[in-house]
Amino acid sequence: MLTVSVKWQKKVFEGIEIDPTLPPYVFKAQLYDLTGVPPERQKIMVKGGLLKDDADWSAIGVKDGQKLMMMGTADEIVKAPEKAIVFAEDLPEEEQATHLGYSAGLVNLGNTCYMNSTVQCLKSVPELKSALSNYALTGRSNDVDQTSHMLTVATRELFGDLDRSVNAVSPTQFWMTLRKKFPQFSQLQNGMHMQQDAEECWTQLLYTLSQSLKAPASSEDSDAVKALFGVNLRSRVHCQESGEESSETESVYSLKCHISHEVNHLHEGLKHGLKGELEKTSPALGRTALYLKESLIDSLPSYLTVQFVRFFWKRETNQKAKILRKVDYPLELDIFDLCSEDLRKKLEAPRQKLRDEEGKKLGLQPKSSSKDSDVKMTDAEASSNESGESSTVTQQEGASSEKGTLHMTGIYDLVSVLTHKGRSADSGHYVAWVKQESGKWIQYDDSHPSLQREEDITKLSGGGDWHMAYIIMYKARLVSM
Amino acid sequence: MAPGPDPNSVGDGAKRDEATTKVPSKDPKKKDDKKEEDLSEEDLQLKQNLELYVERVQDPNPELQKAALESMRQEIRASTSSMTSVPKPLKFLRPHYGTLKEFHKNMAESDLKKLLADILSVLALTMSAEGERESLGYRLTGSEGDIGSWGHEYVRNLAGEIAEEYTVRQGEESSIEDLMDLVQQIVAFHMKHNAETEAVDLLMDVEDLDLLLEHVDRTNFRRTCNYLTSAAKYLPGPDDMLVLDIAYMIYIKFEEYPNALQIALFLDNMQYVKQVFTSCTDLLRKKQFCYMISRHGITFELDPEMVENDVDREMLQDIVNNTKLSEGYLTLARDIEVMEAKTPEDIYKAHLLDGRASSGPSADSARQNLAATFVNAFVNAGFGQDKLMTVPSDSTSGSAGNWLFKNKEHGKTSAAASLGMILLWDVDAGLTHLDKYFHTNDNPIIAGALLGVGIVNCGIKNDCDPALALLGEYIDKEDSSVRIGAIMGLGIAYAGSQNDQIKSSLSPILNDAKAPLDVIAFAALSLGMIYVGSCNEEVAQSIIFALMDRSEAELGEALTRFLPLGLGLLYLGKQESVEATAEVSKTFNEKIRKYCDMTLLSCAYAGTGNVLKVQDLLAQCGEHLEKGDNHQGPAVLGLAMVAMSEELGLDMAIRSLERVLQYGEQNVRRAVPLALGLLCISNPKVTVMDTLSRLSHDTDSEVAMSAIISLGLIGAGTNNARIAGMLRNLSSYYYKDASLLFCVRIAQGLVHMGKGLLTLSPFHSERLLLSPTALAGIVTLLHACLDMKSIILGKYHFVLYFLVLAMQPRMMLTVDENLKPISVPVRVGQAVDVVGQAGRPKTITGFQTHSTPVLLAAGERAELATDKYIPLSPILEGFIILKENPDYREE
Repeated sequence: MLTVSVKWQKKVFEGIEIDPTLPPYVFKAQLYDLTGVPPERQKIMVKGGLLKDDADWSAIGVKDGQKLMMMGTADEIVKAPEKAIVFAEDLPEEEQATHLGYSAGLVNLGNTCYMNSTVQCLKSVPELKSALSNYALTGRSNDVDQTSHMLTVATRELFGDLDRSVNAVSPTQFWMTLRKKFPQFSQLQNGMHMQQDAEECWTQLLYTLSQSLKAPASSEDSDAVKALFGVNLRSRVHCQESGEESSETESVYSLKCHISHEVNHLHEGLKHGLKGELEKTSPALGRTALYLKESLIDSLPSYLTVQFVRFFWKRETNQKAKILRKVDYPLELDIFDLCSEDLRKKLEAPRQKLRDEEGKKLGLQPKSSSKDSDVKMTDAEASSNESGESSTVTQQEGASSEKGTLHMTGIYDLVSVLTHKGRSADSGHYVAWVKQESGKWIQYDDSHPSLQREEDITKLSGGGDWHMAYIIMYKARLVSM
Repeated sequence: MAPGPDPNSVGDGAKRDEATTKVPSKDPKKKDDKKEEDLSEEDLQLKQNLELYVERVQDPNPELQKAALESMRQEIRASTSSMTSVPKPLKFLRPHYGTLKEFHKNMAESDLKKLLADILSVLALTMSAEGERESLGYRLTGSEGDIGSWGHEYVRNLAGEIAEEYTVRQGEESSIEDLMDLVQQIVAFHMKHNAETEAVDLLMDVEDLDLLLEHVDRTNFRRTCNYLTSAAKYLPGPDDMLVLDIAYMIYIKFEEYPNALQIALFLDNMQYVKQVFTSCTDLLRKKQFCYMISRHGITFELDPEMVENDVDREMLQDIVNNTKLSEGYLTLARDIEVMEAKTPEDIYKAHLLDGRASSGPSADSARQNLAATFVNAFVNAGFGQDKLMTVPSDSTSGSAGNWLFKNKEHGKTSAAASLGMILLWDVDAGLTHLDKYFHTNDNPIIAGALLGVGIVNCGIKNDCDPALALLGEYIDKEDSSVRIGAIMGLGIAYAGSQNDQIKSSLSPILNDAKAPLDVIAFAALSLGMIYVGSCNEEVAQSIIFALMDRSEAELGEALTRFLPLGLGLLYLGKQESVEATAEVSKTFNEKIRKYCDMTLLSCAYAGTGNVLKVQDLLAQCGEHLEKGDNHQGPAVLGLAMVAMSEELGLDMAIRSLERVLQYGEQNVRRAVPLALGLLCISNPKVTVMDTLSRLSHDTDSEVAMSAIISLGLIGAGTNNARIAGMLRNLSSYYYKDASLLFCVRIAQGLVHMGKGLLTLSPFHSERLLLSPTALAGIVTLLHACLDMKSIILGKYHFVLYFLVLAMQPRMMLTVDENLKPISVPVRVGQAVDVVGQAGRPKTITGFQTHSTPVLLAAGERAELATDKYIPLSPILEGFIILKENPDYREE
């Protein structure tokens, strides 16, 4: 009879007796009583390896008083989870794209950065994307010419490709149709395609889309593009000499920000842009006279586009020269004072509501009795959630939701910036800076998307040789009533 | 006193006083032309006296002669004490040197002639032409009086001439007996006058260091040995060994056993180690020796001769076996309050990056999870708890298994093995945790569990040999991943043990024609680790045969590099012993021949600082090769391996690497960051950090990857905020490139290794000793990094765990006589090099006072700030036993 001690985990069991005539399995059964580890999971280290159940004690050479070590637990054996874990690496390419949180870049086909950045900016409008995807269903109507149709389809395809791909997309098809539709973009210089003005591209593309996306049947939202981007202006034309006054309305796709010596801020530029002088024949005077034209905004778009009038034709150099003046623009733009009286009245209630909500977010109590404040709070919270969601969901002005209608507030948030770097419109480099749904800013420099900080976006305001904003786009902040 | 220095007023004090009064009246312009005439009265007197003596010496009257010589000697002796300029008497005697010489030649043999020879010998100090050694010549014919009476300068000059004469005579093979007598005198003089360095220098010149033993005493042996050990670093072999031998003997003579043990370990001389144990009778001090041996990481068996009592021996063996390491480390962690487990996110600190971090992806990325596995393993190494692997399994989801399965296929191997890292050194708990993974049928998990067992046992020896018992069975399993897990586990657990049993089970694999290449590669590597620095013939043969059996295609594989590396590790630091094997390697297939050659060379001379080998390797790096040659990588690493041992060589190597970087080929450039990483491992030098930071943005992604890994290596275990910041920025810079991001994550894990309590430096004991197993671990990882894409970014990422061999707590933990931790105040500061400095210079600077346990950074040294205790080892690193000071009185 041998006596050994067995060490198991941090415990030592002293004085365990071994009967060398019995197989080690008996010994293991003894240990089972002590440790609760089933014999088949016991690993007992002896000289030369593990103790086998049927080994011969004499061959192992265990000495009296020896310390043995046992390993083994009664723990549950690990099992693979029933549902296999899916790894990002195994996903198809399309799904990987969504994990990045932004879409792919566009390959520069030779001075096509103006086009790439325009496409990236416009692509950030989800409503435009959905309108385009509906285009396939409506099909080509007779009043749209062939090339416009092709360009619209190419735009749709390109947007689709961008959403699916991880790597940079080559917009060859789109470029070809664009050049077919607008031969001015095919200008060559030294055998290379010339750099073009992004604003021209933007305007032309949007115009084409607005033409082709016009629903054949005349319904309320017949012109999707116009509903998204169109700004109605009401102008008062006034002749100081004769005192004549007339008013006219017009619809534009973008507001101009004129840059003069007094303009330091976007708001001033916009105001400046809405005032103008023109010469026309005065019926009262019977000759041409100077008229003053003052415009006010009559209806607000979901997406407000502002173009900085940075380029002017410089006769001496025979090219579009650039104004480098720094013009600040805010991340949040309020255009209330540019609106017409009627519109202002309409905006007041939603604006009050918005203010209340924001005040609540900051912890301010609205002026009301304590009793119903609770109710209001929950209400307001619900609605603020609603408006938060609505900014990401395809919603148009006047579209109704379960909780109520969404209203314009005259307040806009910056969503994309198209910048230009260089000294003239036909040279230099265009880059798009687009805010993603996740709230992150991505710089699309042709095929290289990169993350940017929000505070750097407002630094693109000019005043140097760095990228400066040329076209910026704001998205309306809506509030549900 | 004097308002300004006066060119003429050096010499004795009386003269100076006189000069002081003159200074204001002196016009600078006049200075030139008063050299001759402007002698003070006193000087004039002296000059006239000396001239008189010279004349008298030539007088035929021996009485007069003698008196003159005596007087002359008096004058000279009186003045030689100050050596700021040529002493006056010597100066005035200069014109007469020729006359006296001439006279001496014609003198008859007599005491007087000897007396004159003595004086001539002194005069020759300033007069003798270069290389004439006249001073020595006259000395030898002189009266052999007390050598020191002529002053230090004379003795030093004489020593220099002796050294010259010695080499000349060596060349002529003539007798040196007369010289040795003189050497005896000079050494005795130097040793008495705080000039140990000069004595040692002279003895090294005349190759008779044994003389030193007679002359050292209690007051000067420390400085002497200090000088000897640091001089050894710059001596060519085998002189360095000789010098250390002497140092060892001196330490033994003065019963300075810890130092003696240090040198014995440096010499890798087990006989000496044994002698230390047998010479010392104090059990407590023996315990301290055991701690020192355990830190060095060698396998050492105590026998009854060293420790008589069985119970004591068992206790000491426990210390040598490192069984208490985990306990000590956890004591440190608790004291510093870093027990709380950290998650990889705590390390990444993504919130500090503004907007750059990509939004949390909805699906798990296998590569990122693998990175997190490693980060988690490194950061929580040895703490026994973490938030991914050891969390108790929930009844519903079984979260313990959860993280494991968030790793893909071979990733699960690393995940399971990470448990071993988390429970590092705690064998009992580690085996308990790993046990459940042995019972699955998922091969990668079993492989990981096997590897984990190896990691847990790293550096720990246990009588029951649990690692061998558990892993042994799996070596010959069917699945090669399981085999690799077991083989690598054994390599890590038994590194340096030279275990025969493992050899007999691993060697057959090497020459098994059916075994897959990766299994063979890891078997060679593990054998190299187990027999590191042993020069074992048998193992070398097996690896050589395995290399010869490889087909052309297999030689091109990335993993094949582990075969020559395994071979090289056998000769780690063993210098010439490698030559026979290096000869054999010349017969290999040309695809691997040069690679093998470089690896062998660099391993054999690793840590020697051998300048010639550094030059050889540099020459290799400078070549511009055809495509396909890959031996320059190991050459660059070798450069670092050879040069890393000693500060001066290290700085030179860093500078040379800078050049290599500029002019080298691409494959050389890729290895340079790794070499820098090795040179400054766990020692974040700012210049190297900047270089690596620059390279981490290199256009060549492989250069960038090695630079990033190296940033991790130089900052390993330091929590260095600057490197952490750099890596954080890199993580956002490379957020799209999965491979580079993986490297960044690994580096982040390394920097925060053990939450800053660990070091990877293979050097310890004030940078004197180099732990062979630690170096083997690091070198293996670096070789793997030479082909990052196929090894670490491929499916052999678990080679990262080889670093465990180098992982050691960078602590100083004081224990009392019962080995229980006690807290005492210590000063920790930057170490100062005190070699060759007189008196008792301060050994640290810019210190702060802490109470133990404390962390020691690279280049730092600790000293006790209290007299209450006496440390049993002068090198305050690791575990230090304190004894109460019997003379201590409370103030």
